[in-house]
Amino acid sequence: MGIELKCFATLREYLPENGDDYPVEPGETIRSLVAKLGIPEKDVTITFINALRSDLDSEIKDGDRVGLFPPVGGG
Amino acid sequence: MSASLEDSIRGLAHSRALPWGGSGPVLDVRDVAELAKKHALPGHEVEALALELDVTPVRYLRNRQSISRKDQTRLLRASIALVGLGGLGGSLLEQFLRLGIGRMRAADGDRFETSNLNRQALSTLDGLGREKVRAARLRADTVNPSITLETRTEYLTPETLPGFLDGCSLAVDALGGLTMRGHLQEAAARTGIPLVTGALAGWSGYVAVVMPGQVGPADLMGMDNGGEEKLGCPAPAVNMVASLMASEVINVLTGAPTLNGRMLVMDLRSHTFETISL
Repeated sequence: MGIELKCFATLREYLPENGDDYPVEPGETIRSLVAKLGIPEKDVTITFINALRSDLDSEIKDGDRVGLFPPVGGG
Repeated sequence: MSASLEDSIRGLAHSRALPWGGSGPVLDVRDVAELAKKHALPGHEVEALALELDVTPVRYLRNRQSISRKDQTRLLRASIALVGLGGLGGSLLEQFLRLGIGRMRAADGDRFETSNLNRQALSTLDGLGREKVRAARLRADTVNPSITLETRTEYLTPETLPGFLDGCSLAVDALGGLTMRGHLQEAAARTGIPLVTGALAGWSGYVAVVMPGQVGPADLMGMDNGGEEKLGCPAPAVNMVASLMASEVINVLTGAPTLNGRMLVMDLRSHTFETISL
């Protein structure tokens, strides 16, 4: 079992097909995940793991629900 | 309340069947307008006084089981500041007018253009080129003239924001783009009032309630303009975010539990709604 990955707004284009069950390595962090997905780090502003705001160095493990949010300010 | 106004409200009230059963006294919109004029009061104050006498203005009758008499009275006596009258602002104004939020102060320096028609509730073909605040006043007169709407045709700045918020008990962030959102959050904090904020790009968006001194989305999103320039803002996402913001405004004004300290993020394409602790 991997993670459930949610990519919002402009990050949607980076969402892999297996985003519902995406494999992660032991010791995976948001930073390494973002790099693996090919997302420029500066394009990620808010990240969350299991409904808690996290930072780039937060660790991810199997079964986590991970969300990546870019700058969004439209109104 | 003057005895004559109380007598007038009771005199003009008539009994009708209530949606929740039985019958009770109600007051028609025309009678509200007449009493407001006669007693030199805003219509929303006449409506608040009527509710205190357990006379329900017909306009709010269908809300009474969702918004209690006490809460409706609070809304009618509330003063809020609405910054921006574009996509979110237009939809919020419409909802606030129908909910009966007594006093609103709204600001926008913009005029309507053709590219607003995809989403902005106040934009119409015959209103292209019109000031957004002018369209807001026209809409308010058409939907609910009991509401006191004060408008400013200007883009607020860090210097003018504090004066704009002065006297309001809540600020609503309906700005477009990220540039001014941090300044608004700071001005609301300095004024000591809660901020209801929301934004979107494409089918994704978020809503938050920021109490003075708390971390809010504006602290995290940066100042560069966001994904909306690329993805645009389709009407369903605009109205969804505006509705979530409007219901948080009601929660704050009536003392109900709010999103305080959290942020609701959503994506309409993946059917995601998630509440994140900030």
